[in-house]
Amino acid sequence: MDKAELKQKILEVMEAKIKKGGKTKIYLKDLQREIPGANPREIKNAANELVREGKLEYFSTGSTVMFGLPGVGMGLEAGVEKPEE
Amino acid sequence: MSEIKKHDTPMVDQLKSGPWPSFVDDIYSYGEKHKKQCAFDLMGQLELSYKHKETHWKHGGIVGVFGYGGGVIGRYSDQQEKFPSIWAFHTIRVHHPAGKWYHTAALRKLCDMWDHRGSGFVNFHGSTGDMVLLGTTTEQLEPVFFDLTHQFHWDLGGSGSNLRSPACCMGKSRCEWALFDTQEIDYELTMHFQDELHRPAFPYKFKFKFSGCPLDCVAAIARADLSFIGTWIDEIQIDQEAVKAYVNGELKPNAGAFSDRDWGPFDIKKEVIDLCPTKCMHWDEKEQKLYINNKDCVRCMHCIAVMPKALKPGKDRGVSILIGAKSVILEGAQLSTLLIPFMRLEPPYDDVKELVYKIWDYWMEVGKNRERVGELIQRIGLNRFIVDVMGMKPIPQHVRIPRNDPYIFWREEEVPGGWKRDIKEFRKRHPA
Repeated sequence: MDKAELKQKILEVMEAKIKKGGKTKIYLKDLQREIPGANPREIKNAANELVREGKLEYFSTGSTVMFGLPGVGMGLEAGVEKPEE
Repeated sequence: MSEIKKHDTPMVDQLKSGPWPSFVDDIYSYGEKHKKQCAFDLMGQLELSYKHKETHWKHGGIVGVFGYGGGVIGRYSDQQEKFPSIWAFHTIRVHHPAGKWYHTAALRKLCDMWDHRGSGFVNFHGSTGDMVLLGTTTEQLEPVFFDLTHQFHWDLGGSGSNLRSPACCMGKSRCEWALFDTQEIDYELTMHFQDELHRPAFPYKFKFKFSGCPLDCVAAIARADLSFIGTWIDEIQIDQEAVKAYVNGELKPNAGAFSDRDWGPFDIKKEVIDLCPTKCMHWDEKEQKLYINNKDCVRCMHCIAVMPKALKPGKDRGVSILIGAKSVILEGAQLSTLLIPFMRLEPPYDDVKELVYKIWDYWMEVGKNRERVGELIQRIGLNRFIVDVMGMKPIPQHVRIPRNDPYIFWREEEVPGGWKRDIKEFRKRHPA
């Protein structure tokens, strides 16, 4: 699988999960499970490249990092909004 | 400038009454001086947490600046109406220099920048080793990153499922016992593994720590997934004249570190020989000579620390590499276990990098979410990790304690000649 195909596959996995009503943020390990033919390092590189392209975004608890589609599910501000001045 | 709003904080204020310096004093005096509302809101929220006996911080979400998957930990107050100035109070980890040496001018610039763009509160250093800048808003993250990288030539540290900022002791910059150049390997691996440091790659965090000698000042053995601890493979260097000088009271033991109290005359038997964990030392009173059975020495460094002028580590130096220390998450806390008893280090450390990639490749493939490499080894067994994953031959040094399980299961390929199983033949002799 070349990088373009892998990136496409990652996006498809993310979208399919959301359509099924599953989690909107997933770990790298979850991506690896869904794309068994690909090398974990290649998946990591492709997912990180998708973040740079703005097609995915990181979501971190501080100790771990998850990947999500921008604007779907809990946002980067984790449901908090800046109070009115 | 708007009026500062103070909160009533009787429980937090009690912390000022102790004999020790209080962070409460520091935060309040800083808030008064710089008219920072966040200082008072911070203490107000802490008071509320003491009252409710639970935290009012939420965390998560924001991870960094553009292109980075770590270095920033999102923090939000869940009491925004009461404490609006800390509604977002993100933490920024700044990668420390190797050995944590700073020029005062750099620290002044950092403080000025952080006074302007953040709360002004810092933590030197977090347990991973980074400088921790505490408290800023989302809008300030990119400007802070720009200042750090363009003005100070510093970078963010690791967080999340990334390689965390490698850490080392001061090593050869100050310590006579540094058995390898901790700062050089720290810098080299940090630069080599930039992608893993800044972008999530792993099932969970991964830490390198480098201690120049077995005294292990950075506690690599307790805190790092891969610990590098300086050691030697030949014999401890002995200056018998200096040993005699210690015995005769001409030199102060421990380089005078405990001389503020009268501990009586130095007793080599009580303070050195009897404390050797493997009893590999002997002091011949008649000959006035110290003998060491180096084959039994476990490099604890106690004798060297007590008599630094008389004893020195050997001349053939390198590192012991240990794997798997961690705090509690999926399993309990554990110290590192020995992986490679001795390795000579040569820049650019290609053999270390090869070892690291081998460990990572397996962990990335087989590790579960939030499973540290030490937990993975617990799950599959150290023997299988050493033999199947690392492709190494098990050696006695790998055995931490003798096995207490009397049943040993061998694989066919592990027994010379192997064996054949024929269940039909077996059943002829032993009907079911």
